[in-house]
Amino acid sequence: MMLSRIADSLFWIGRYMERADNTARILDVNYHMLLEQPPDTYKLRWDPLITVTGERTRFYQKYDEAVARTAFDFLGYSEDNPNSIAQCIIRARENARTIRDRISRELWEDINGLYHKINRLRDEGEDLARFCDAVKRGGHRFHGVCDATLPRDDGWHFLQAGCVLERAEMTARILDVHYHQLLEGPQILNEARSHAWMAVLKSVAAYEFYKRQYTQIEPEKVAELLLLDSRHPRSVRFNLGLLQNSLYAISGSVPGTYTNEAERLTGRTHEQLTYDSIDEIFAGGLHNYLEELQVTCRTIGAQITETYLYYAVSA
Amino acid sequence: MYEKLANMPLEIFEERRKLADLSYLVQGITFTVYSDGRGTERLFPFDLVPRIIPRSEWDTIERGLAQRVTALNLYLQDIYGPQRILKDKIIPRNLVYSCKHFRREMVGLQVPRDIYVHIAGIDLVRDSRTGQYLVLEDNARSPSGISYVLENRLVMRRTFPRAFEVCEVMPVDHYPNELAKILRSISPRTGDRPVIVLLTPGLYNSAYFEHCFLAQEMGIELVEGRDLVVVDDVVYMKTIHGLTRVDVIYRRVDDDFLDPLAFRADSLVGVPGLMNAYRAGNIGMANAVGTGVADDKAIYAYVPAFIKYYMGEDPILHNVETHLCSDPDQLAYVLDNLKDLVVKAVGESGGYGMLMGPSSDKKTIEDFRERLIADPRNYIAQPVIPLSRCPSFDPATGSLSPRHVDLRPYCLYDGEKVTIVPGGLTRVALQRGSLVVNSSQGGGSKDTWVLRGDE
Repeated sequence: MMLSRIADSLFWIGRYMERADNTARILDVNYHMLLEQPPDTYKLRWDPLITVTGERTRFYQKYDEAVARTAFDFLGYSEDNPNSIAQCIIRARENARTIRDRISRELWEDINGLYHKINRLRDEGEDLARFCDAVKRGGHRFHGVCDATLPRDDGWHFLQAGCVLERAEMTARILDVHYHQLLEGPQILNEARSHAWMAVLKSVAAYEFYKRQYTQIEPEKVAELLLLDSRHPRSVRFNLGLLQNSLYAISGSVPGTYTNEAERLTGRTHEQLTYDSIDEIFAGGLHNYLEELQVTCRTIGAQITETYLYYAVSA
Repeated sequence: MYEKLANMPLEIFEERRKLADLSYLVQGITFTVYSDGRGTERLFPFDLVPRIIPRSEWDTIERGLAQRVTALNLYLQDIYGPQRILKDKIIPRNLVYSCKHFRREMVGLQVPRDIYVHIAGIDLVRDSRTGQYLVLEDNARSPSGISYVLENRLVMRRTFPRAFEVCEVMPVDHYPNELAKILRSISPRTGDRPVIVLLTPGLYNSAYFEHCFLAQEMGIELVEGRDLVVVDDVVYMKTIHGLTRVDVIYRRVDDDFLDPLAFRADSLVGVPGLMNAYRAGNIGMANAVGTGVADDKAIYAYVPAFIKYYMGEDPILHNVETHLCSDPDQLAYVLDNLKDLVVKAVGESGGYGMLMGPSSDKKTIEDFRERLIADPRNYIAQPVIPLSRCPSFDPATGSLSPRHVDLRPYCLYDGEKVTIVPGGLTRVALQRGSLVVNSSQGGGSKDTWVLRGDE
């Protein structure tokens, strides 16, 4: 038995924690990459980062240009950005606080501890690298604590669904924005471009894995890994596979069937990612493919909400 | 014990105090204060020095409370039933009917097992002149604070494990079990596993931490009004797999906000139709609706008479001398002596709406005088009781010094007997000289140790 409201909170704890983690990753990798770059590539590299988070308009209402300082301010702490890391953690914590009787004490203390830590780092004026490091570690610990302390009931599957859906969408978006900037944007040095792709891989913790398989940095291969790989925990296919498992566990549907729209869309997209080849995807246009993926992810989220979390009751 | 603490090097005490504070912060044991506009979370200040009550003293308190809670229930059965006490003119009819929390809807309604007040928090003070415990007020609606009792004990055990080896302290941890037993017993459906929920106003309620804590400890569902729906006078909760029937509600939402169709229509935290389900006998509720007619501060003055009337006994615990402003003679006395009295609004709790005569300036007193004259029924007055004091840690001097305390034990009534976990919430006025212990007014709390013996 699980209240819809509690399932909703778990779903959003998963989403917000994952969003905070991903944002810290892209912020951190970009920062480190630029330490060794000529200054004229600066502008080029902070701007797409803002676009990745989907908050471009809000950003330029507040700041004149995208540089490390403004990006850190906006993506790290800003109250004007509902998706800033601090705001995500605040909302994850609010959700956890609301349902703290339903989660393990360890999980609550972990999320609450991260919240207090972020506040302290801000008060101490801690730099970007250490801040992002704290958030990433917090993300890892979050998954560890969930894994080690939560029963595998419906609640677990809603939390899991929130995490993997967010991660799938974030990976698609990171790829989309960088692809656009690097291949279709203004010309930059080859060397810089290669660095940038490396940064993309590092931001999703896939650099080492990539190197073992492909050695050379090529955009098609990077896209292949991040979209279609069946083993890497940040590829879109991998995450939609996990989402499918969780949705089946919640509804009791058998694999190969579906009982609601969220399951149908997840199953269909997962199959596509399983059987599409990267050459076909590039032939049809990567950007379109990625855009469609992001739209599908959002629809799946809306369908989960409509099916389980907010449904109408006739009294 | 106090000696040991007094001799403990300051650094070590400080270190343990910080450890304890940290564990409260990490666990998020906070309460919400509203006065600064947007509701801030604060730690409830905790004083590491326990308040110690010898067994013999506790025995008297326990018997007195059991007697009082039984009488309150008998009174409520009577008021919402045959009203013998009104016919016998023990208490004026208009005083009862004019209570802010009297619920006409409850008259003639049969509540499960005839229990109205399942949970009562009775505030006691100890008069330092006589050493006697007096009842300061009854809380018969939804008293809060028990979670602090249980958490304080947990923190104390972590912080001073050795002290528990030496002193034989009576345990308090069985409270949630006892409460759960009572809740199960008021289910209208037979069957071994009734569905019980705790209804909370939500995250922004000052006692939200406690609601979560108790739901978890009892293994019951914590719900908000929006999780519940009434269909054909039956209460259900909305789950991911459809509607599930609910049998018992431990509600921590005030009567006023419980059902927008029956009471305040602007309530966003209630459940439309809940009163109909209650009336139809399809749901058990603790505490019952309308118990505020027992803890009104003017009714309080009559509780000793209830004990005599319903039980034929003399009260074991006495009231603080109380002047009812609804009575013209008593009002005249109060108005003449405002600067020496404590004046309280009858339907309020938590230290809101009161006047501390001796520590108030002239203007505040004059403001209150006008309010009293305009609405005398709404006020009572009591002499200032010199509260007993208990050694507490003073961070300013780094030593132990006496601070005023009160005590709120939590009483559970199952229809036959009253169960009280030994001790209760000791609230302490952390400011030197202050007599106000409410958490919303800068008070703190201590663990309360009832010893197995007198030593």
